[in-house]
Amino acid sequence: MKLDYELLPADQEVFDKAVGQGEKRMYCLPYDVEGDRFVNGFLVITDKTIYKICEGRLLATYSIRDYRSFRAESMYGNCALYARKDGVSTMICRFISGKNLSRYMVICKACDLLAEGNDLLVEDSTRERFCPKCGQPFIRHTNICPNCFDRKAVYKKLWGLTRGLRLMMSFPVLVALFGLIMRFAVPYIQAIAINGYINPASGIDRSGEMGTYLLIVLSIISLDVLYRALGIVRSRLSAVSGNRFAMMLRSLLYEKIESLSLSSIQRKSTGDLMGRVNHDTQIVQNFIVGQLPDLCAQAFSFVVALILMLVIDWRICLFVFVPIPFVVFLVYKFWKHIDRRNRKAWILRTRASHLLQDILNGIRVVKCFGQEEKEIRRFSESSEKQADQEVSNALIFDTIFPLLGFLLRLGSYFILLYGNYKVFHGTMELGTLHQISTYANIMYEPLLFITFIPRNISNFMTSLSKVLEILEENVEITDIGLPIDIKIEGDIRVKDIVFGYDSYNPVLQKVSVDIHQGEMVGIVGLSGSGKTTLINLIMRLYDVNEGEITIDGVNIKDISQEALRSQMGVVLQETFLFSGTIRDNIRYSKPDASDEEVIETARVANAHDFIMNLPEGYNTIVGEKGYSLSGGERQRIAIARAIIHNPRILILDEATAALDTETEKLIQDAINKLVKNRTTLVIAHRLSTLRNADKLLVLDDGHVAEFGTHEELLEKQGIYYKLVMAQQKMAHEIVPA
Amino acid sequence: MAEKKIDLFEEEEEFTLDEQKKTVDLTPENARFFRSEGGLISLELTDEGETKVYERVMLLRAFPITNPDEFISVREPTKRKTSRAKEVGMIRRASDFDEATNVLFHEELDKRYFTPQIHKIHSIKEKFSFYYWDVDTSAGHIVFLMNNPFNNIRILEDGRLLISDIDGSVFVIPDPKKLDAASYRRIEAYL
Repeated sequence: MKLDYELLPADQEVFDKAVGQGEKRMYCLPYDVEGDRFVNGFLVITDKTIYKICEGRLLATYSIRDYRSFRAESMYGNCALYARKDGVSTMICRFISGKNLSRYMVICKACDLLAEGNDLLVEDSTRERFCPKCGQPFIRHTNICPNCFDRKAVYKKLWGLTRGLRLMMSFPVLVALFGLIMRFAVPYIQAIAINGYINPASGIDRSGEMGTYLLIVLSIISLDVLYRALGIVRSRLSAVSGNRFAMMLRSLLYEKIESLSLSSIQRKSTGDLMGRVNHDTQIVQNFIVGQLPDLCAQAFSFVVALILMLVIDWRICLFVFVPIPFVVFLVYKFWKHIDRRNRKAWILRTRASHLLQDILNGIRVVKCFGQEEKEIRRFSESSEKQADQEVSNALIFDTIFPLLGFLLRLGSYFILLYGNYKVFHGTMELGTLHQISTYANIMYEPLLFITFIPRNISNFMTSLSKVLEILEENVEITDIGLPIDIKIEGDIRVKDIVFGYDSYNPVLQKVSVDIHQGEMVGIVGLSGSGKTTLINLIMRLYDVNEGEITIDGVNIKDISQEALRSQMGVVLQETFLFSGTIRDNIRYSKPDASDEEVIETARVANAHDFIMNLPEGYNTIVGEKGYSLSGGERQRIAIARAIIHNPRILILDEATAALDTETEKLIQDAINKLVKNRTTLVIAHRLSTLRNADKLLVLDDGHVAEFGTHEELLEKQGIYYKLVMAQQKMAHEIVPA
Repeated sequence: MAEKKIDLFEEEEEFTLDEQKKTVDLTPENARFFRSEGGLISLELTDEGETKVYERVMLLRAFPITNPDEFISVREPTKRKTSRAKEVGMIRRASDFDEATNVLFHEELDKRYFTPQIHKIHSIKEKFSFYYWDVDTSAGHIVFLMNNPFNNIRILEDGRLLISDIDGSVFVIPDPKKLDAASYRRIEAYL
């Protein structure tokens, strides 16, 4: 992330004048708001002073050593930088949130360091949202600038991807070209027929050559048949090659996504990834096998028609061209107008469908509160608006579009006029006139859709670069040179780790903890204190920024991911079951588990009984569309899934948080059976879940606050003690003694 | 009355779980707002016979869009996380306070809730799936970007439009029909 912006020349001058001898310029950030105006200001930070410069004037200076507690506060519509001097807060500048908030966050940290006299240059690897070259924002969720990415490289990669399909994919282009020849040949042959036979020049008798005439007619028919036949072959082949290409692209993408680390996946939303796999590959496919050959053919036919007409009679070409600028202008205006109307219709349509979705999802609430009437009214209003818009759009389109077609052909009327004149005077043959006017129509046709071309190309390029971006992303978490397949015993040592999802905002700071083999450790703390993050790091879903985590003395970065994951079992709070049978879900991490093992595991997880009460037993379909299980039931299946491969390390992340006491008891019982001989980490809000924990780890705002046995922590009367007291009090209030 | 100056940054935050903190109604009787040395707002609060001075308080509107001048929460910044704050009390109606205090409030609130008014729309162009708005606002001329007009233009019940850009800036159009004809035509397609 850029932390040292260029000053404008005028501001640079001001800065040069103001800056003291031997001061080292370190950072420079823009700020954009002052009072109630947008401004173009800069904050230049040297190792001693902050200079606030705006449009050629030095507004203020702050001596950094005097200040403490720099903080960037996000407000509404803008943000502000604050600092304190001798216990007095002051606002240094305001800026627009999205562009600069993360920069200022880093700068706050940097200024705090400078204030302590530490002039370490803080750097930050957070990626930019805007192209450093042109300022255009990157395509959403990507690092691609749509303005200045390397098109040549993209084409080259695309070419590489088509390997094996090239022959098949080039066929549509060939057919399109052949069709083109057809289109030009037919009018030519027709001209021969007209000139020579239908309306021969006076004095020539061709009645004896009926055979030749028939041949001409036959050739026209057979060309047409051939063209249609090839058209059929073309559609069939493009269907095959296009889908194959898209399929290949999709599976490449999917393979890649699965191999990416969680941190780079979480930076992208599921919807975005799905979009890339489904929607973007579709666009690429359509363009390559559909639009591209047509586009080539059209561009080519325009040029060929032009040349042919020039050769036949260059004067007549002038008439062809007269209406073109005018018509292209009209076409442009027309589509722009239609576009605007369509967009409006689209917005109304989306609004109506969102509303419907909302109401249907909340139908119970609607009925409970007796608001049916209101919702019906709301929906019908919205759908009425939509219908009105669509009707008016259709009316306009259906009136203007044919008119436009008529205007477009104005040129052909000019040709007829001029051509007839020539024919009457005997300087042109009738057939030639026919030929020219057909060519003119061929030229005009693509003009109706000319305005779509840039958009199609840009959509295609965007989609393609989005697809390529994933294909080329580096796999962040990779096994190092020779990963070790160890048999895990379960000694976990966390040493001085620092980690944050954003580098300027560490979630865990210098966390160290030793967990011995076979221990059950409860992790306690307020939400946001870093409990889940710690567990994610131990599972190596992310790599730590500093420090190290070792299992049995081996850094987890050196253990192969397969070895690591196959010896860990995880139960999360939100239990996600895949669509499939209970049996499949339990066997997920060990697909070759026998039915006996499945039942054994389910018994341990206290799931066997309820599963047997389902009509289809272990073959019951669960998941999104399947049998709806209760939260506790799902949870127990998830526990079975976590332990079927007999993991050495078991992790339970608030696995019992959402359950009633009865179910919790069942699960508690299951857990108690499980923890024997395993290292177990349990995150829980209900301290009763941790009753049997050997040790408790209390996290507070990213630090280890307390670590020890239940008794030790109670004696300490710290955070854990308070939590226990609070929960006891609550329990007493609910169940009076 | 002994004044106790609290330096909130040195104070360790209490670990609260179920301690219910009561809300203090801030009225001209118990609260005095004044400009701090650093140009921000300080509060002197007398509650249950005890007077406390907060060096800096933040004013946050409960209903910034529909009811900006009532229910203003007065908060003191905390050390832990940026932008998080603890409530000191609540102002029921800003108009209960005298004019000078209201000037102070508005200075602070106008900074915190920065929503320039759009006077004129020069163009709205779509490029690479971003919408570029070239507009004149009460805060000056600006080109801002939006990625999806459907989600970023809010039509309020009173006819106002709230327009958010990709950077988190918010613009307001009090009544789109009162814009000049060309501007209205440009925005109409998105309403």
